[in-house]
Amino acid sequence: MISKGFQKRSKPQAEIPGASLADMAFLLLIFFMVSTRFPRDEDRRIEWAVASAAKRIDAKQKDILNVWLQRDGTVYINDQRLEMDVVSDVVAPLYEGSGEALVISVRGDRETPYALVDQLQQELVSAGVVRVVFASRLEQRMQGQRR
Amino acid sequence: MLTRSRRSVSGEIPVASTADIAFLLLIFFLVSTTFPKDKGLAIVLPAPSEQVEVSQRDILHLAIRLDGVVEVKRGESQQIQEIRPREVEGLWRQEFASNPSLVAAIRTHPEAPYRFTVDVLDALQSANAQRISLQLLEEPAP
Repeated sequence: MISKGFQKRSKPQAEIPGASLADMAFLLLIFFMVSTRFPRDEDRRIEWAVASAAKRIDAKQKDILNVWLQRDGTVYINDQRLEMDVVSDVVAPLYEGSGEALVISVRGDRETPYALVDQLQQELVSAGVVRVVFASRLEQRMQGQRR
Repeated sequence: MLTRSRRSVSGEIPVASTADIAFLLLIFFLVSTTFPKDKGLAIVLPAPSEQVEVSQRDILHLAIRLDGVVEVKRGESQQIQEIRPREVEGLWRQEFASNPSLVAAIRTHPEAPYRFTVDVLDALQSANAQRISLQLLEEPAP
């Protein structure tokens, strides 16, 4: 108590306290890490078809259903292996559930015989699906060739 | 000089730069994260009961053979022209200019690889073709 008189007076600080900025940045970082969603189903090993007119699928991520079609005709939907003739039974309820907004992204191997692709299409038609995208890698064409 | 008080050694870890580090991390992840956006050739399938009658005159038949060669047949004429999938784009532009109600009918050989169909579809979509029908080639050429 006696020594109080001898203490130096603290000077008012001119700095903005920056210590809490770090916490805010980390909160943002954690928020984005948690809220970022990744596609649900696992990628199959297929050789992609290439197309130069490939456009982005104009639908929300949750409205896109990937249908994988492998070279030997095996079909995978949501990481489940399916027989070709049950595809429509699987897709139809999903299509209904999405409010008919579902877009089917057909991810076919480039060497698949077309008969199988056609069969898959027939299945999708009988499931009532209207919007289908043949997923493909974008082909970079030379500018000169395009003209 | 002599009147200055000696600086005391600070025992704290400087935290002011932590914010910068966190922001750098944040910006790094924001920039480097790419969301895989699917790309592809969109088509609209017909409804199960839907059948559209198209006059033969308005159909451009494109038959894709097993070897990838496209056989072009215009409407009612029996003349067959053989072209490569890449050339379909130019062909469509020409034909469409003379007949705006043209429909492209792609028929693919059952054993032909899917990529040939994608090539032709790609060429047609590059040429802004809207009306495309996809079918199986029923009588495979020998």
